[in-house]
Amino acid sequence: MASTKEILNRINSIQDTMKITRAMYMMSSMKLRKAKAKLADTEPFFEATQRGIAENLVRMPDMRHIYFDNRVEDEHETIKRRGFVVFTGDKGMAGAYNHNAIKLAVERIAGMSKDEYKLFVVGEVGRAFFINNGYNVDTNFVYSSNNPSMHRARIMSEYLIDLYNKEELDHIDVIYTKMLNSVTEETCVERLLPLKTHKFIKEQVQEIEADAEGVSKAATELKQGVKHVHSINSYELEAFTQGGDSWYPFYPSLSTVLERLVHNHFTAFIYGALVECSASEENARMMAMQSATDNAEAILHELSIEYNRVRQAQITQEITEVIGGAKALKKKKAKR
Amino acid sequence: MASFFNLKIIACDGVFYDGQSEIIVIPGADGEFAIMNHHEKMTGVVEVGEIRFKKPDGQWQKAVISDGLVSVYPDGSVTVLSYSCERPEDIDTFRAQEALERAQEQLQQKQSRIEYEISNANLARAMARLKGAKRS
Repeated sequence: MASTKEILNRINSIQDTMKITRAMYMMSSMKLRKAKAKLADTEPFFEATQRGIAENLVRMPDMRHIYFDNRVEDEHETIKRRGFVVFTGDKGMAGAYNHNAIKLAVERIAGMSKDEYKLFVVGEVGRAFFINNGYNVDTNFVYSSNNPSMHRARIMSEYLIDLYNKEELDHIDVIYTKMLNSVTEETCVERLLPLKTHKFIKEQVQEIEADAEGVSKAATELKQGVKHVHSINSYELEAFTQGGDSWYPFYPSLSTVLERLVHNHFTAFIYGALVECSASEENARMMAMQSATDNAEAILHELSIEYNRVRQAQITQEITEVIGGAKALKKKKAKR
Repeated sequence: MASFFNLKIIACDGVFYDGQSEIIVIPGADGEFAIMNHHEKMTGVVEVGEIRFKKPDGQWQKAVISDGLVSVYPDGSVTVLSYSCERPEDIDTFRAQEALERAQEQLQQKQSRIEYEISNANLARAMARLKGAKRS
């Protein structure tokens, strides 16, 4: 059994750690409140853009355009270069938040050679991980999801769209964490570019409608919702069922609207992802710190019991020794 | 009796207006255009500038808007989606003036194409804000 001094040392060190985790808990709960308010403000906009793009996509006539990645030269490309925008936090100590995003990104790029993908990492933790492990990371793309602003989202999206237009990227997927409620978070993948064509959406919808049991590939992917990029999402299904095949005019012209749609959607999505991520990160950190504090309390409780037991044992032993000594003296005296 | 349609203006920091309107005037690529009830369904581009719409009580409401998209639905309702939308009285003229000067300064310097476009957009927004704020 450890001595009382050792146990006391341990108790002190745990108390110090607990102070830190408790302070971090308070800080992240404060930041979370701010981030949640922002999230609530942004949510209608985020949802409306996704709905808006779905409504427009189902009404776009079939055409060849770089944003659909179906021009003749696009179809002749043998390698599709993929860009992944991965959202992580700037700091660790946030439970599994960073690891989930990193894990999903690693799964996505597994088996690709270095010229097939490029990573655009938001947040210091993810950037350090991918650079240290020798992944192909764009080092000019240095942004953080802390205190999201429209301005930063605009710069990020212009940078990515520019790369796409220069044909340095053929696909752009975003990996981010969505806050479903205050306890569950989900890491999601969404393809921002190329856009889905009307024909593709129509085929997918027909496939879903054709099988009543919902066992086809398209239907299961729709149900899983966020873990895939090859099929349609619920907004597109809804928009299509609400009159998909009818055209309507675009003002001032189709290409202007398409251009604006891509820029707006991209920026709005990046902004929405930034806001979602900053809220999820603080939420994850708050929960991690909460459980750390709880654990520390449990250990302290156990240690204090052990400490009392050891102390009691020591006292008992001392008393026994004193009595034994006294008895021995007495016997000595009696002998004389 | 004027007929009304449902108007929804959504900005990135919240829903700006959600209610009935008689007419809305929007800055387009080649001048302003107005939408009234029973408009043909369409999607259009909104440029940086000033929008105004008539509320059911006959009052005109003005707002300064940044670039975005407008959609008209089959039932006549209109949704405007934009990065930002502000009432003229909410605009901080001092901040807008500063942004204007900053954008002008940045445009003087040598920039990449993306930076140029961002500065240009910032300049347009700052100018629209100042113009909207002055008139109120």
